[in-house]
Amino acid sequence: MKRCLIVCLIALVARTFVANAETTLDKIDKSATLTIGTRTGSPPFAYVNQRNEWVGFSIDLVEKAIVPALSKKLNKSIKLDKKESAPQTRIPLLTSNTVDLIAETMTDTQARRDQVDFSLTFFVTGAQFLVKKGTSIKGIESIAGKRVAAQQGSTNAKIIRERVPSAKLVEFPDQPAAFQALAQGQVQAYTNDGIQLAGLKAKAPKPNDWAVVGDFFSYEPYGMAMRKNESDFRQVVNVGLMDAISTGLYFTIYDKWFGPKGELPYPLTTEVKRFLQMQVVPK
Amino acid sequence: MGRKTQGYGREVEQQRMSYKFNWSVLWSGQSGAWLLQGLLTTLQISILGWLIAISLGIFSGALRTMPLAPLRWLASGYVEFFRNVPLLVWMFFWYFAVPPLLPQVIQDWLFDHGAEFWAGVFALGVYHGARFSEVIRAGIQAIPKIQFEAAVSTGLTMAQTYRLVLLPIALRLIIPPATNETVNLIKNSSVALTIGVAELTFQTRQIETYTAKAFEALVAGTVIYLMLCLSIAAITARIERRVAIPGMIVRSSEF
Repeated sequence: MKRCLIVCLIALVARTFVANAETTLDKIDKSATLTIGTRTGSPPFAYVNQRNEWVGFSIDLVEKAIVPALSKKLNKSIKLDKKESAPQTRIPLLTSNTVDLIAETMTDTQARRDQVDFSLTFFVTGAQFLVKKGTSIKGIESIAGKRVAAQQGSTNAKIIRERVPSAKLVEFPDQPAAFQALAQGQVQAYTNDGIQLAGLKAKAPKPNDWAVVGDFFSYEPYGMAMRKNESDFRQVVNVGLMDAISTGLYFTIYDKWFGPKGELPYPLTTEVKRFLQMQVVPK
Repeated sequence: MGRKTQGYGREVEQQRMSYKFNWSVLWSGQSGAWLLQGLLTTLQISILGWLIAISLGIFSGALRTMPLAPLRWLASGYVEFFRNVPLLVWMFFWYFAVPPLLPQVIQDWLFDHGAEFWAGVFALGVYHGARFSEVIRAGIQAIPKIQFEAAVSTGLTMAQTYRLVLLPIALRLIIPPATNETVNLIKNSSVALTIGVAELTFQTRQIETYTAKAFEALVAGTVIYLMLCLSIAAITARIERRVAIPGMIVRSSEF
């Protein structure tokens, strides 16, 4: 009797150790919720606005393009749950199953593809510098020896460290801290993706005091990240994005945030528009 | 890699752990240099912070036990104000709130010479000074009042009494809680990463970002912090044995 009990106990414990990996689609199906990791301080992609609402371009894309595609695929209505993520925490959040999709301002790179999978590119930008208007810094050529702020764990910090080792890099955990350091003079420039700098500048108390300078010193295509080996989930996400682009929904959302009346006017170049449209493969 | 198996009435893919360990990332490439740099920065910020903390702690701890009420209030004010606010808030305060109050010339010099490091040092020093103060106060109050009276009756002034009689005894009495606070200080130095100080925890996160090997990087950080704190404890244990006053401290049979 005692022996039988011990064997049963061991079998029970052993079962919990065996990783019964369910797919992401199963997980979303069971909980009827898509959990995304997104930012709180990166306007206009994902931020908390003056009315205390958590909104943004990336969030809208998920809500209006991906959640409907998921609902259609799983045949039930899917809710959206948002959790905060940052460059340092986003991949651990994914791999620990806390979130299913990272929808913020994450650059799709080959190195990152070793750890996560990416959706189609949904935005294109490059790295630049934010400086106080009137400084002598004009781009990556002029930052040697200067104090530059960057975000911990970002691609921009990595590039500066490799290309301009003499620049004094100060890395902050998040964008608000880095911007505060720039505003007070602790650093002379802040590097991040051009569109995010434009967003910061537009939301600053005195936008005219700031300037976004320099040519793109890196190519930053934004994609939505998800766990590896989840082709079904990835297919749904990509189909959602492709449908949005082909029906024009993507451009409506784009206009809402980046159009002439949007939060941050940033017109789509014909080149980028063509690139987005060509990502849509035939049905 | 995966086997089909029956589970809960459905076929479920059974997968083994897909994380591949790679311990060589800790010393190949830049990781080794980063860890070393991080350790050095942690040591620097901790030692400087500790020096400030112990000086402030002894000074305010002694003040809180003096017969003069205004001195006690001054020290109490310092302690209550600084220890009841989280260290994280103090880090931001010293880095973002203090420099704008300084003259422009000093500001420029500071920003060019590691403002975030010094902000971290002062935040740690002042916060832990408040905590050390309580520890030292407890030590002084543990000394029988008769010592103080005897010292004063031999003609020593208040300052001399504290310096020559009370503090030497108190400092020997409080070695265990002081070790605790010192170890806390070393661990709290990691909070400085929020203002951009490239100390040990920052460097382990950096390695994690560049190599995607979170487990290895965090184990490295854990092991280094453990070794640091255990050495501190070993050193203070030896100091405690050497400076113990016979008859004043009850020793357990372990020693």
